[in-house]
Amino acid sequence: MPDPMIRLQGVTKVFPGMEHPAVGGLSLDIDEGEIVMLVGPSGCGKTTTLKMINRLVEPSGGTITVAGADITSMAAHELRRGIGYVIQQIGLFPHRTIADNIATVPRLLGWERARIAARIDELITLVDLEPGMKDRYPAELSGGQRQRVGVARALAADPPVLLMDEPFGAVDPIVRGRLQDELLDLQARVRKTIVFVTHDMDEAIKLGDRVAVLNVGGILEQYAPPAEILRDPANAFVEGFLGSDRGIKRLSLIPVSEVDLERGPVVGLDESAADARIAMERYGVDWVGIADGERLLGWVPAEDVSDPLSALRPRPFMTRLGLRSSLREALDTVITSHTRVAPVFDGDRFVGMLTADSIGREVTE
Amino acid sequence: MIDFLGEVVRWLVETWDGLVLTQPGGAVIDQGFRSGYVWRIWEHVQVSGAALLAATLIALPLGAYFGHTGKGGFAVVSVVNIGRALPSFGIVALALPITIGLADALPFISSGLGFLPTFVALFALALPPIFTNTYAGVQGVNPETVEAARGMGVTEGRILREVELPIASPVILAGIRVSAVQVVATAPLGALVAYGGLGRYIIDGFAIRDDVQIFAGALLVAGLSVITELLFSWVERRVVPHGIRPATSREVRRAAA
Amino acid sequence: MIGQSTGPFFRWDWVFSHLDLVWEKVVEHLVLTGVALGVGMALSLVLSVLALRWRRTYTPITWVTGALYSIPSLALFAFLVPITGFTLLTAEIGLVSYTLLILIRNIVAGIDGIDPAVRESAIGMGYGRRRLFLEIELPLALPVIIAGLRIAAVTTIGLVTVTALIGQGGVGFFILRGLSRFFSTEIVLGTALSVILAVSVDLALVLVERALSPWARRRASA
Repeated sequence: MPDPMIRLQGVTKVFPGMEHPAVGGLSLDIDEGEIVMLVGPSGCGKTTTLKMINRLVEPSGGTITVAGADITSMAAHELRRGIGYVIQQIGLFPHRTIADNIATVPRLLGWERARIAARIDELITLVDLEPGMKDRYPAELSGGQRQRVGVARALAADPPVLLMDEPFGAVDPIVRGRLQDELLDLQARVRKTIVFVTHDMDEAIKLGDRVAVLNVGGILEQYAPPAEILRDPANAFVEGFLGSDRGIKRLSLIPVSEVDLERGPVVGLDESAADARIAMERYGVDWVGIADGERLLGWVPAEDVSDPLSALRPRPFMTRLGLRSSLREALDTVITSHTRVAPVFDGDRFVGMLTADSIGREVTE
Repeated sequence: MIDFLGEVVRWLVETWDGLVLTQPGGAVIDQGFRSGYVWRIWEHVQVSGAALLAATLIALPLGAYFGHTGKGGFAVVSVVNIGRALPSFGIVALALPITIGLADALPFISSGLGFLPTFVALFALALPPIFTNTYAGVQGVNPETVEAARGMGVTEGRILREVELPIASPVILAGIRVSAVQVVATAPLGALVAYGGLGRYIIDGFAIRDDVQIFAGALLVAGLSVITELLFSWVERRVVPHGIRPATSREVRRAAA
Repeated sequence: MIGQSTGPFFRWDWVFSHLDLVWEKVVEHLVLTGVALGVGMALSLVLSVLALRWRRTYTPITWVTGALYSIPSLALFAFLVPITGFTLLTAEIGLVSYTLLILIRNIVAGIDGIDPAVRESAIGMGYGRRRLFLEIELPLALPVIIAGLRIAAVTTIGLVTVTALIGQGGVGFFILRGLSRFFSTEIVLGTALSVILAVSVDLALVLVERALSPWARRRASA
């Protein structure tokens, strides 16, 4: 087993004037290339712990090593130039262009101009920004765009470690979901070691390879992959933090592609109204789906079914899921749609349907 | 150094009732009570007070009117900017040809020198702070309060007098204080237009190169300036209506008990 | 002005025939102002860094500079004359003293007003203290600092006229001479020049600020 990328041993932090330590004797190993989420209620010391890794907060006790080196063995600013740091409000420099913002650490490290320019272009593409944005100022960008610049800036000098402190907390849920997906994409490409602080358990489950659940005072209650925590919470505290919809949360970890899909009450254009009625009865529903080969055109309520089927005007399904969508999204679709099914597509190709039953079967397994 | 300060102290002790000059030949001349600093302070306060009073009588109603109607904001900003760019030395100097011209033209003005130009210049200097502060104070009264009064049938004039001015009084008094300090600080320049006042010691001291007189004069001017600031701050605190004053923590605790 | 009172208040012909002198005094005025602002700014930067580093020094620093500011200008120069005489040094010491309060207040306020997230992210990325101050904090505080510099400049230009009484003066020379000769043209000239200089320098500083902070005016497009 290779040595962990980051190792915390008995790390303690006591702030002056405080009775109890903010973090009391925390030990944690973070392996290379994994995303570790630090979650917990306020006061659990998750942000303090994160900030001790890059010495924005100096530990009162214990040791922290990054890439095998004790963090106190070098000057603080040198340590920080080798660790990417992203915070919630981002903190882009308003008086510098996007390009100059991204170039910050490479400049501090003394890279040559050509190398910096090449790296800036590389990163702008990596975080999905338009090249034209390079010469704009932060005030001209939207919130989501600024977040991406913040991540690009943190990655500029290609640090092995990235520290993120609730980076997506300040954007709306839609943008947040997108940014989370982009982070996972990014990670698939660059494979950094990421320590991510969040108070949102759903975010922890979605993003983390391992999740550290912390209690007040930096007490580590459980440290395991998300599926394990959901399946076997270590104690009442963790269970409480997971929330009562633990079963449903597990569904968010299972992609639709891992489940057997049924064809559902769907008939082709070459079939007849009678076939349609048989299908509706078999599934016990009051509607039928119409397909043209592998293309699912939509659904028709029972009372409108008549020959020829090609003359009917099917209504589109409300939500179409992809193979990577989670069972949780499928369940949401099933519950909220009129048809009570979630159709799954591979691109445009109709693959099958999920019903409440088929989803329920997965949970109990 | 110590000797010098000792001489300054001696000068201060001696000169309250008359400035004593030693002629080169050894003769000592006492220039009379009006050359002492008690009288000079009186002259200084006289012209400053007159200018401040006149400025208040003009600028306060003007500022209140504009603040109440809300018009003239641009004029206010311009006044502030121009006021800052005008050199007080220039104002005092400019007053002289004006008052001399007035004295020539109007028979009841005996002299265009001395009190008149000093008064005119200080009056001009005193206007901006009072005007802008009164404007800002009245304009800044919570519009809802004003609306409520209007809705109850209170006339515009009474709203101004009984609602806006009292609420704006802290800001207005601050403006008067700033104006007063500025006037007292600039009055020494009146010595240049043949007025008395404490500036006399400094200007005359420059002319005869008497370091002791210069230094002592400066002490008196600075001292009077500080006293003016303290006096007006005290008045400000006492005169503001009780409900407007920010409550001290003691008062809040007592009220909550 | 007994003879002058029937004559014109302002004689353009006199001005045009003395343009060299006018120019000389204007230059003198600007030099006096420039030196005072330069030294004042340098001193204020040092004192501000002190006040920002050790917060407890801020109050005494503002107290002393505030006390200096509240001394009437004639009195301040008068205090200095017995010590440094009727010299350029006396004038400059006085002029510099008056700039300190406003400059220090604005430098400190400007730096304090910086978004804390910017500072945190800069330190988190590895900025050392000195580069942080020079590359991040000062540039971002620039608009507020220049606002203070503008006020200091206008005030100083007005005060330079008073230094005519101790042998310096810039355009105050005309005011003083006009006063002693009862020549209204010179008085008006001196005062007008002072105002023109003040307005021009103020405008110039506004342009400087615009040039140095292009980022302050950009906004997100729709």
